[in-house]
Amino acid sequence: MTQHASPPRDSTGKVPSAGAPPVRRSLIAHADVRILSLLGVLAALILIGGITRPDEFLDTRNLQLVLTQASVIGVVTVGMTFVIISGGIDLSVGAIVALASVWATTVATQEYGFAGILFTAVIVGVGCGLVNGLLVAYGAMVPFIATLAMLASARGLALQITDGRTQIVTLPSVLDLGERDAYVLGVPPLVMVFAVVTIIGWLVLNRTTFGRRSVAVGGNAEAARLAGIDVRRQRLYLYLLSGLCCGIAAFLLIVLSGSGQNTNGNLYELDAIAAAIIGGTLLSGGRGTIVGSVLGVLIFTTITNIFALNNLQSDVQQIAKGAIIVAAVLVQRRTASTT
Amino acid sequence: MAPEPPLLSMTTITKSFPGVRALDGVDLDVQAGEVHCLLGQNGAGKSTLIKVLAGAHQPDTGSIRWRGEEVTLRSPITAMRLGIATIYQELDLVEHLSVAENVHLGHEPTAAGFVVRGRAAREATAALLARLGHPEIAPGRLVGELSAAQRQIVSMARALSHDVRLIVMDEPSAALDPDEVDNLFRIVGDLTAAGVAVVYISHRLEEIRRIGDRVTVLKDGRAVAGGLPARTTPTRDVVAMMTGRTVEYVFPERPARDPAAGAPLLEVRGLARDGEFEPLDLTVRAGEIVGLAGLVGSGRSEILETVYGARRPDAGQVVVEGRPLKPGSVRAAVRAGLGLAPEERKAQALLMLESVTRNVSVSSMSRFSRGGWIDRAAELAAARAATRELSLRPDSPAAPVRTLSGGNQQKAVLARWLLRGCRVLLLDEPTRGVDVGARAELYAVVRRLADEGRAVLLVSSEVPEVLGLADRVLVLREGRVVHTAPARELDEHRVLDLVMEGSPAS
Amino acid sequence: MPELTSRRGLLFGTAAVGAGALLTGCTSNESSDEPAANGQPAAADKPGKPVTIGFAGPQADHGWLNAINDNAERRAKKYSDVTLEITEGSNDTAAQIGQIETLINKKVDVLVVLPADGKALTQVGLKAMRAGIPVVNLDRIFNTPQAYRCWIGGDNYGMGLNAGHYIGRKLKGKSGARVVELAGLDNLELTKQRTQGFDDALKNYPNITKVARQAAEFTVESGQAKMAQLLQAQSSFDALWNHDDDQGVGALRAIEQAGRDGFLMVGGAGALSAFQAIKKDDGVLKATVLYPPTMAASAIDLARALGQGKGVGGLAEFEIPASLTLYSAVVDKENVDRYMPTGFK
Repeated sequence: MTQHASPPRDSTGKVPSAGAPPVRRSLIAHADVRILSLLGVLAALILIGGITRPDEFLDTRNLQLVLTQASVIGVVTVGMTFVIISGGIDLSVGAIVALASVWATTVATQEYGFAGILFTAVIVGVGCGLVNGLLVAYGAMVPFIATLAMLASARGLALQITDGRTQIVTLPSVLDLGERDAYVLGVPPLVMVFAVVTIIGWLVLNRTTFGRRSVAVGGNAEAARLAGIDVRRQRLYLYLLSGLCCGIAAFLLIVLSGSGQNTNGNLYELDAIAAAIIGGTLLSGGRGTIVGSVLGVLIFTTITNIFALNNLQSDVQQIAKGAIIVAAVLVQRRTASTT
Repeated sequence: MAPEPPLLSMTTITKSFPGVRALDGVDLDVQAGEVHCLLGQNGAGKSTLIKVLAGAHQPDTGSIRWRGEEVTLRSPITAMRLGIATIYQELDLVEHLSVAENVHLGHEPTAAGFVVRGRAAREATAALLARLGHPEIAPGRLVGELSAAQRQIVSMARALSHDVRLIVMDEPSAALDPDEVDNLFRIVGDLTAAGVAVVYISHRLEEIRRIGDRVTVLKDGRAVAGGLPARTTPTRDVVAMMTGRTVEYVFPERPARDPAAGAPLLEVRGLARDGEFEPLDLTVRAGEIVGLAGLVGSGRSEILETVYGARRPDAGQVVVEGRPLKPGSVRAAVRAGLGLAPEERKAQALLMLESVTRNVSVSSMSRFSRGGWIDRAAELAAARAATRELSLRPDSPAAPVRTLSGGNQQKAVLARWLLRGCRVLLLDEPTRGVDVGARAELYAVVRRLADEGRAVLLVSSEVPEVLGLADRVLVLREGRVVHTAPARELDEHRVLDLVMEGSPAS
Repeated sequence: MPELTSRRGLLFGTAAVGAGALLTGCTSNESSDEPAANGQPAAADKPGKPVTIGFAGPQADHGWLNAINDNAERRAKKYSDVTLEITEGSNDTAAQIGQIETLINKKVDVLVVLPADGKALTQVGLKAMRAGIPVVNLDRIFNTPQAYRCWIGGDNYGMGLNAGHYIGRKLKGKSGARVVELAGLDNLELTKQRTQGFDDALKNYPNITKVARQAAEFTVESGQAKMAQLLQAQSSFDALWNHDDDQGVGALRAIEQAGRDGFLMVGGAGALSAFQAIKKDDGVLKATVLYPPTMAASAIDLARALGQGKGVGGLAEFEIPASLTLYSAVVDKENVDRYMPTGFK
C-alpha cells in the first residue's frame, strides 16, 4: 500500500521549499530519522536509569563505566559494520578477539613488553582477517562459511595456546592503562581508542574512495564490477579491516581484564551484528552508518548497565535485548518503506 | 462466433508497470484443441500477457472468461486448478530436486495427507515421460544433471501432471535441436488431438506455419490482429503487423560525413565464445554508431559483455585505439576508455540505494580523491556537469537514483561514462524500460555522444531503433553475423526476414 | 609457539612464591611426594592385581577441568599396578559416547567417566555396567544409579552454604551488613544450587542482607564486566561471594580499577592464583570455597580398589560406597598452605 504513495515524495509536499533543493532535504531528514530514533531510545534509557537509580546511574563514574564496557565490542562493531555494508558477514570476530588476546598474553609475548602485546594483538587480528578475506574474495567462499570456519579454528587455536588456562598479564605498563590514574580529563584511554576508531571509521566510510567502494560492492556487486571496481580486492580489504578492529579490541580487552583467555569475545559476533542492525545497517548490504552502529552498541551497554544497577538478572536482560532488536528492525522497516 | 463458447476468452486486458503500459486492451480467445500462436517483437507484451494468463500478474482492467464463465486468476494456483499450465522460457525447476519431485512439486501424491508416496510419484512421472517420448529420463535423477532439452520435457511433464486444458509454451523451441523440435511438435499434436489447447509463442515463423492453427499478433501492448489463419496468412503481412508503427520514433539526423573518416577506436578481431557467438570482426570508428540487430539468444549481449571484459573470450582480441586489451578484465577495459550501459540496468549498472551523484561518480572516484580522500565538492560539481549535459531530470544530484524514471536512470549510466571520459560506449538495449516519449531524447543523446568523437556499439532487439540510430548494422542470427550493411540501405522487413529466416529474402 | 607460551611456564617463571609454597606444603603436611592430592591412598597402598582404568572426560577448556585430567594422570602414575587408558577430552556427547564404547570394547577393568553431559551419557554408563565394567561416575551425575557403581563429586549447594557461613561468621556482630553475589553462568543447574546454599546459610545471620546478585559466565571478561557494574550499583558493601575463581580474576581486576576495598571477598573452586592471593593477604580476597579437582585422583583410587576388590581404608565397610560427596572446605589464610599444592592454574 505504501509503495503507491512513495514515488511522489511525500516530504516535498509537506516541507515548503526554502533554499536547498527539496530532495536533499528529505534525504537528510530520513538519515536523521534513523539516528534520531536511536537517540530517542538512548534518551529513554537514560531517563529510566535516572529514575530508577538516580545516584548510581547519573554519575561520572557510571558514564566512564558504560563507555569503557562499550569500547571493546564497539571497536569490533565498527569493523563489522563495514563488512555488513559490503554485503558480507564476519562470524569470526569473537574468536579472533580470543585468539589475539591469548597470543598477545603468552609468557613469550609478555617479555617484549607493552609494544610486544599491542603488536601481537594487532598482527594476529590482521592475519586472521587476511585469511578470511582471501577465502571470501579469491577462494569464492560464502562469507558465512569462510568466517564460520575461521571462528572454529581461531577458537581451537586459542584453546591450544592457553590449554584452557587464564593468562594473567603482569606488565604494569599494560595494566596501568586500565586504571583510573590513566584517565585523561576523566576520559579512560580505552574510551579514547574507541572514539578514535569511531571517528576514523566514519571518515573512511563517508569521505574516502574505500568507503564508497564498500557501499557500492554491498549495494550491487555486479554493478560495481561493471563500473570498473575491483570487487575482490575490496572484499579482501574489508575483512582485513574487520580483523584489524578485532586486534585492537583484543588489546583493549587485555588492558580491561588484565588477562587473556580463550573464552574471551564470547558471542561478540552476535552482539556486533545486532548493534549494526539496530543501527540501521542493512544485512543485505549497501547501506549503513557508523554512528548508527555505535549508538546500537551504546544502547545495548546502557541496557546492561541499567539492569545490573537495578539488580535484574541475566534472563531478563537477554529478553530485553531480543525485544529491542525486533523493535528496532520493525521501526526501520516502516521508515524504509516510506523512504 | 464459435458454436460453443471458446475455452478461454480474454477481453480488453490492460496492465501497466511504473512508466510502461505493457498491455493496452488486448483481446485473445482460444478454442479447445487448437494451437494458438502469439507473435510479436520483444517488448510487445507477450510475456506480460501469459503472466496474466498464468495468474502471476493481475490485470488492471479487462475480463477473463474460462469455458464461458467469468474468472479471476488471483494466483498461479488458481490458474493451475482451472487447468491452465505455463511452461516458461526460463524454466522454473528446482535443480536440487529429482525429476519426479519437480513434476509433483506442490501436489505430491500423499498417504494420510502428508506422507509423500515417492514410489507412486516416480511411477506417475515415468508414465508421463514415456508419453512425452522421453522414457530415458529417469524419474529419480536430479534436474540439475539434465540437458536444457530434457528440462523442457520435465517442465512439460509437470504441466501434464495436472488435469490440464490449456498449456502456454513460451518459446519452447529456443533451446532445442531440430530432432527435439520434431518431438515437441509431435507432443503438441497429441495434446491438441486430446482436446487440450496450446498457446504457442515463438519468433520462428516456419514453426508457426507447421503447427499453428491461428495467430494473434501483438505490437506495443495491443493485439493488432487476432485469430488469423496461421498457415495461409502471407509472411509479409505478418511481418508488417509486427512492425507497424503505432508510435513514430524520432531519430536524430545522421551527420553527412564519410563513415571511414574517423579513426578506428574499437577493433574486435576474431572474438568468439563457444556456444555463444562465432568469431566476430568489427571496427567502430570515432563518431560512428554501429548497431547489432538480432533476437534474444542471437548472442548480442554476450558479444558486448565479452568486448567489455565481463566475459572471457575463447578466442580473438579487442583492440582499443590500437592497443590490445587484457582479455576478461573489466578494469582493463574501463581504463582503456570503454563504458558499458548494460541491458539489466537495475541489476547490472545502478546502485539503487545511492544518490545520482554517487552513481555517476563511481567509476571516476580517483579523479576527485587524493590519497583515497574524496573532494566531495569537486565530485558534486563534476557529476552535476555530466548530468546537466545530458539533461537528466530532476536536476537534483542527491536524489536517490531509484526515484528516477527509466530514461533518466539510463542517462545517469551514460553520465557515469561521460564523466569518466570514455571513448567507446557499449549500449545494450539502451531504451529497455524507457517510455516511448522519452526515447527520442535518449537517441539524441547517443548521437551527440558519437558526434563528439566517441565510438558507439549499440545492441537492440528493436529493429527500428537500430536502423534509425546506427550508421552501420550487423545482423546477427544464432551467434553469427549474417549480414552487414549501412543502415540506410536496410529496412525493417529486410532485417526481420534476416533474423527470423536466416537468409536474405530479397 | 604454544609450548613456549603455556601457563605453566608463566607461573613457574613469575610466581616464585607459589613454588616455594608448594614445597613447604608438601613437607609440612607429611604427605608423600605426590602434589596433586593429600597423598593418602584410598585403598591399601601395596601393589595388587594389575588394573586397567579407562578415563573419559570433557575437553579441558577451563582451568578446573585441566586440573581434573592432571590429577587423574598423576594419581594413576603413582600406582605401579594401574594402567590408565585416557581418551582425548570432548564436549561433543556423541564423540564421548564413542570414546567410552571404545574403552568398553577394549575391556578395561574399570571406567572413570566425567561426562560432558550427565543425562546424555547415562545410556553408555548402563552399557558398561551391563558389560560387567564398574563405572566410577565423576562429578556430573548420570540419570540413574544403575549407570554407575560409585559416584564421586563436589557439592555445589555445600559451596554456597560454606561460603555463606564463613561470611556470616566474619561479619558477626556487624549490624546491617550488606553482601553481594557474583554468580556463575545462570543457565547451569550448579549456579542455582550454589546460590541456594548461600541464601540458606545467610538465613542464619539476621544482621546480613544480600543486596545484589549478578551472573557472570565463568570467564575473566564477564567477571570484570559484571563486577564493574556491581561495584557501581553498590557504593558500599561488606562482603562479596564470587562463584568461580576464574571469573574472579576479572572481578579482582574490576575492584582494582574502581579502587575499592573495605569488604571481604570469598571465591569459589580453588585456583592457585586465588590461593596465592589469600596467602599474600594484601587484597580483598580472603578465602575461597573448594570444589576440589582432587576428586579425579580419588576417583582413580576408587577405581583401583574396585578393580582389586578392596574397600576404602579407614572405614569399616567391605565395599566401596555407592556415592561420595566431597566437602567444600573453606580455604583461608589459616589453612591455605595445606591446600596450595592442589590449586589449579
